[in-house]
Amino acid sequence: MFRRWVVISNAGSGSRIEFDSETRAAIATRSRAYARDHLVHLLVLGALAIYPAVYHVLTNGGDATGMVALLPRVETMVAVLYFGLFAMSFDFISGYTGYLSFGHAAFYGTGAYFVVLVANGKVPLLAPETPFVCLLVLAGVLAAVLALGIGAFSFRLTGVYFAMITLGFAQVLYVFMRDWEYLGANPRDGIAVTGLADGFRIGVPGVDSLSVAIGQLAGEPIDLFGSTLGASTVSYYAVGMVVVICYLAMQRIIHSPFGRVMIAIRENEARARAIGYNTFYYKLGTFSISAFFAGVAGGLFAGFRRSVTPENGYYFLVTGDALLASIIGGFGTLAGPLYGRLFDEGLREFLSKSGSGGGLLVFLRDSLGQPAMETALIGGMTVGELVETFLNGHAPLYVGIVFVLFVLYVPNGMVGTVRNRLGGSCAKQLPAWLSDRLTAIVAAIRERVSAVRHRR
Amino acid sequence: MIEQGVLLYTDALASFFTPEALVSVLFDGLAKASLYVMIASGLTLVFGLMGVLNFAHGSLTMFGAYLGGLVLVLIVGGSPTDPVALGGFFLAVVVVFGALGLLGGVLEWGLIRPIYDRPPLYQILLTFGLALILDELARIVVSFYGIQPIASWQAALSTKPAILGRTYDLGPTSLPGLELFQIGFGLLTVGFIWAFLTQTRYGLYVRAGSQDAEMARALGINVRRVFTVIFALGTGLAGLAGLLLAWDQAWGASVPLAAETLLPAFVVVIIGGLGTVRGTVVASVLVGMVDAITTWWFNEAITFTGLPEMFLFLILVIVLALKPQGLYGVSEVGGH
Repeated sequence: MFRRWVVISNAGSGSRIEFDSETRAAIATRSRAYARDHLVHLLVLGALAIYPAVYHVLTNGGDATGMVALLPRVETMVAVLYFGLFAMSFDFISGYTGYLSFGHAAFYGTGAYFVVLVANGKVPLLAPETPFVCLLVLAGVLAAVLALGIGAFSFRLTGVYFAMITLGFAQVLYVFMRDWEYLGANPRDGIAVTGLADGFRIGVPGVDSLSVAIGQLAGEPIDLFGSTLGASTVSYYAVGMVVVICYLAMQRIIHSPFGRVMIAIRENEARARAIGYNTFYYKLGTFSISAFFAGVAGGLFAGFRRSVTPENGYYFLVTGDALLASIIGGFGTLAGPLYGRLFDEGLREFLSKSGSGGGLLVFLRDSLGQPAMETALIGGMTVGELVETFLNGHAPLYVGIVFVLFVLYVPNGMVGTVRNRLGGSCAKQLPAWLSDRLTAIVAAIRERVSAVRHRR
Repeated sequence: MIEQGVLLYTDALASFFTPEALVSVLFDGLAKASLYVMIASGLTLVFGLMGVLNFAHGSLTMFGAYLGGLVLVLIVGGSPTDPVALGGFFLAVVVVFGALGLLGGVLEWGLIRPIYDRPPLYQILLTFGLALILDELARIVVSFYGIQPIASWQAALSTKPAILGRTYDLGPTSLPGLELFQIGFGLLTVGFIWAFLTQTRYGLYVRAGSQDAEMARALGINVRRVFTVIFALGTGLAGLAGLLLAWDQAWGASVPLAAETLLPAFVVVIIGGLGTVRGTVVASVLVGMVDAITTWWFNEAITFTGLPEMFLFLILVIVLALKPQGLYGVSEVGGH
């Protein structure tokens, strides 16, 4: 399509390339199509990018207790991002090929432990000062290799058996990492970064001016355009950049011929095999790719938190959280799990945040006032006691209820339901839908205006 | 260093093959096997008939442990005399089985029944969400009454009668009474399930339903009601397992008991082959024995703390790698 171009060389101004009018039109159409395809991505990115500023403005207003209670903190958003990446990698294998990888925490934990162990100088051949970006890639590669090993065994099985054998592998690793004394003084309580005082830096490896340190305490604030970005905000952007790159890579794979085969395996594996695809290698490849991104997510998690325990790295409930996020956000939608995690984490924080961060508990304490809290209800229990009993730290109860409601009534999750409404993926259909609505609204306004004019 | 280690292991090997060690490991293994069969049999019944892998099973076991512990504490109190404690235990059996069975029936009827026609994943997900809710409810209630939800409930542990607390001489070694009690209880349960499945008309319905639910329905069996009854029976059994664990120092009633029993139950059920009761019994014995042997080795020679638990999952991986459908599994069970 772009082959017809003309080189016009002028003696004075060097040579330049010019297209004929037909090609120019084609380029314009194509780029417009590309922009439209990614419009939704850009909108979401924009929304994520201005969130810290929005949070800052809304929570520093005059009477902002409600906003403080409602909005997740920027630190929480960092956690949403890296865990969202893990949930997306879980969705990449489970939602697209239909093989429920119930031991996915093995890869997340491996990535996290790898980063902390390298920083503590416990991994041979790797110095603690190895650039964090390289560590992330290595963590991913390590997880991918591990996945090749696990997958070579596991993909002989299907259905529940597959889920259970991956769970078995992950739990073996969990017990091993929980009790292996080489890792640290008390491996049951997890390990923390002790060998490295500086924060892990995301950016161009080795160039300090082109990279930023992440972490709640180890991160560095940055002065930009006369205002200071806090350490959490800087981490938010740095982690977010990695997550976006990983998301785009996974999205690209899903839209490639390889991704078509993944979906074919989910829809009808026997038929995919019958038309000549060696599904075993496709499944193994998918598993390995998804493990790579899970490892990167684990590395980001360890880099930000600077510590990891067997319970928040390897335990099967970590996979359970990813499953929760995937179902709430939309199984087999890739972007859905990120929103699912945002919903899940936001709800948890809203319900059980304590201290200065706000949350429903603090909000109720502040706004109800002492007399209301001491009102006795049934059986002499005061409102305050009731609030303390049912809200303080019991978010899993409400998350569970929401989750069950989702399974019963919104089985396709948030993004999946929107997709079904629109009749296609959000990136493809949403712009058209929006422009339809806009034209309709504009037309309606015009009609109204002309009607008014006529009446005059 | 290395030579010392080798010497230690050969010493340990020599002392492992003495009659005392072997008999005590054997009975320890049988006791563990009956615990495993208790926590897994309900799961396997439900899966075999309905194809629902119940993630809330462990939470129901934990409910059973607390409820049973409550009955025991109320009846027996702080100073247990043997007849009172044992009588209390059998009253607790009735209460726990009835209450948990009722709860299970209501859950099946209200939550799982509407989604039978969906892919099996959704039933797993539903029970997973249910497990979150049940665990958190237990945590709220338990901490409301000032009991530490993470540690085992000592009040229930201390209602154990003296008759089970002492040890009994048995050939070359002596055994704790509680282990013998657990073996007996496990055998009784397996016998009860076997009799139910093979000797009663309802058991016939269950076996027919798990082989071909559609055909059974065509022959006039109310399969839906059979589902509800089996789910109730499964949760009742989960509760009984919890009750049995409430006296065991190694487990005890606590909120984390839910996850601690759910995973071994999965392992046993999967190793045996999903949905076969015989496979579950054999797998329980296998897992119980390996658990007892690795526990012995951990106590005597190997310092790695997680040895028994790691072997639990290693057996799962090895069995599935060798026999992808488990020991007695067939490829098509309950729609899987």
